[in-house]
Amino acid sequence: MHRRTVLKAGFGLASLPLMSRFGFAADQKPVGFWYESATPENQEALQNLLIDPFNAAHADELLSIDFRGSDLDKQLRIAMLSGTGPDVVLTAGPSYVASMAQAGQLLALDDYAKKLGWNERVLPLFLDLGRYDGKLYALAKTYETLGLFYNKTLFATNNWNAPTTIAELEALAEEMKGKGLVPFAAGNADWRPANEWFVSIVLNSVAGPENLYKALTGAIAWTDPAFSAAIDKLAEWWDKGYFGENYFSLTLEQAFAQVATGQAGMAPTGTWSFTNVPTYFPPNNAEPGFVGFPSTSGDPIFALGVGSTLSINGKSGNPDGAAAVLDYIFTDDFYSKMNSEWQGEWNLPLTDLSKVKLSDKVVPLYTETMKHLSAAVAAGKYGYTTWTFLPPATDTYLVSGIEEVWLKKTSTADFLKKLDESFKQERDAGKAPAIPSRA
Amino acid sequence: MYRLYLLPTMIINIVIILIPALLTVILAFYNWDGISTPTFVGIDNFRALAADRVFWLALGNNLVWTLIFLTVPMFMGLLAASMLLIVRRGSNFFQIVYFLPVVIATVITARVWQGMIYSPVTGIFGILKRYGLPIPNPLTQPPMALFGVATVDLWHWWGFLCVIFFAALRQVPQEQIEAARIEGATYLQMMRYVLLPGIRSTITLMMIMTVIWSFLAFDFVYILTQGGPAFSSDLLSTFAYRKAFYDLNVGQAAAAALVISVFGLVSTVFYVRIQSKEGEQ
Repeated sequence: MHRRTVLKAGFGLASLPLMSRFGFAADQKPVGFWYESATPENQEALQNLLIDPFNAAHADELLSIDFRGSDLDKQLRIAMLSGTGPDVVLTAGPSYVASMAQAGQLLALDDYAKKLGWNERVLPLFLDLGRYDGKLYALAKTYETLGLFYNKTLFATNNWNAPTTIAELEALAEEMKGKGLVPFAAGNADWRPANEWFVSIVLNSVAGPENLYKALTGAIAWTDPAFSAAIDKLAEWWDKGYFGENYFSLTLEQAFAQVATGQAGMAPTGTWSFTNVPTYFPPNNAEPGFVGFPSTSGDPIFALGVGSTLSINGKSGNPDGAAAVLDYIFTDDFYSKMNSEWQGEWNLPLTDLSKVKLSDKVVPLYTETMKHLSAAVAAGKYGYTTWTFLPPATDTYLVSGIEEVWLKKTSTADFLKKLDESFKQERDAGKAPAIPSRA
Repeated sequence: MYRLYLLPTMIINIVIILIPALLTVILAFYNWDGISTPTFVGIDNFRALAADRVFWLALGNNLVWTLIFLTVPMFMGLLAASMLLIVRRGSNFFQIVYFLPVVIATVITARVWQGMIYSPVTGIFGILKRYGLPIPNPLTQPPMALFGVATVDLWHWWGFLCVIFFAALRQVPQEQIEAARIEGATYLQMMRYVLLPGIRSTITLMMIMTVIWSFLAFDFVYILTQGGPAFSSDLLSTFAYRKAFYDLNVGQAAAAALVISVFGLVSTVFYVRIQSKEGEQ
């Protein structure tokens, strides 16, 4: 009697997790979406702004988001390989899309794009970026750029102006050094790939986007003198101590906070850092400033980065549902609501941002910057970030290779030579992401 | 018939250990990016490894790591264990204290050392700098990065050896220790003539296991420095990890993994030889 009761109770308990399968109405089709890591507030934002409204609007679909953490890309790779995985696929960028599309793991989106009107709603450049072999496979979820953050209040006190040319930047950096400030707030303790932000900056500002385009399409080699000059310039800034002495010890947030507290003058970083502005600038009574990174000519260069992309799993059991989710995301209504809560990660490349209205909580500087960026991209005036446009192994080598240059373990020439070899190898193997032609 | 009792564990072993291990060995001779289909390339992966400067750097670092772990924690463990044996009172309390770092999750240990000890901004090193003792953060200096990481792993590891050696020391026959004490042996003589010979097989086992485990060392390096700065703290395991998951070059990663296994295999052969010799005695 006793044993049978325990057995029954055990069976009951064991079947509880299986009960969830019967939890939704029989005609609701599940749509799986694996996300990377997100803070509890951001997870709530996704729940309130995406999952609930989508499920309410689409009674026959059931969207659920699974937060897999920073290991998402590895888990995705294994799942897709075995033919499983989520319906909506979030990848860290176009270079991963190329390999997955090549292996037939992603669904071609051209039909959905035509049917649901994505070709008109998304900026044409980003449609091109998501193409492989002529077919559309991915839509950029967020695009970003690199630039120069600075402390407007500090600049006003010292009568400094935001630099527009490299010469002005270096002069300003020397002045800051003289005053005991760290010219470039930077740190890679918790994110080593931060190294490639600075490489991207010099490649675009010193070598120039035209040369980058030529190298990415194979017209010139990465050992070209234009690139040696760029890397030498970055090594020079390092040797002069512009990056401070704690580059390897500071985390991203700690480094950025230094600008707000006035210990550092400027921060060469990307628009993703806007998420830290509300935390650090107001408490220090400082006003943030952001300009495109200076160049030799004086025109700001907006190096284009795609932070992540959305695709549909080639083996998805519910591709229509997944397409409906993507359709829901790429609207200015969703853009407004999502960016009001969570800046930097959902900067969708919509063609028309005129109807977008962000809440008052958002720093006006962010809205302004995004509008500038959108205009620059639409006009074809953009540069290339290494994490978006380089194939994976080349990009990985770049991160550690530049440390070797900085710490004098290798020369600029050897670094670029190895980069070039790796790039050529991956390009021949079809791993390089699509490079849209310049306007 | 009773051999069927072996079946469940055999199946688990074959599916989870043997088959993936064999697949890794086979993949070392293929070129695979983890996404498309593998292509056979013979020993090209090994040739590429031999030509890769970073591979030799990582191998060298592994040998240094093994040497560090064969000496420092062994010495600390033996010292502490013999102390625990001699000073019986409070031995339980101290055992727990020494063993605690072993049970704390490696991520937490690594982050605590990185942020609260080594950091020149938020850690003890920062406080020391403010009081005029500027010690650089070892994780940021290429010559010291490996030793900085090894220190964290040593802190985490030596307690394990201490507890093992203490358990072994307790098995040394009391009469021998008593006899030595009566004959007026000093601490060093006690160690040399009674205690250490008494636990020789345990020490041998721990040394062989240390060699094998050293070549498998991964977590602390990966969390603290990811093999940097500039590859200075790279180990074969972080090298293989990077090749497999970031460079999308599983073939070379498998080849590096094979190299790790060869070292482990050599140590195992040594151990079996020593064991059989002891068995014959």
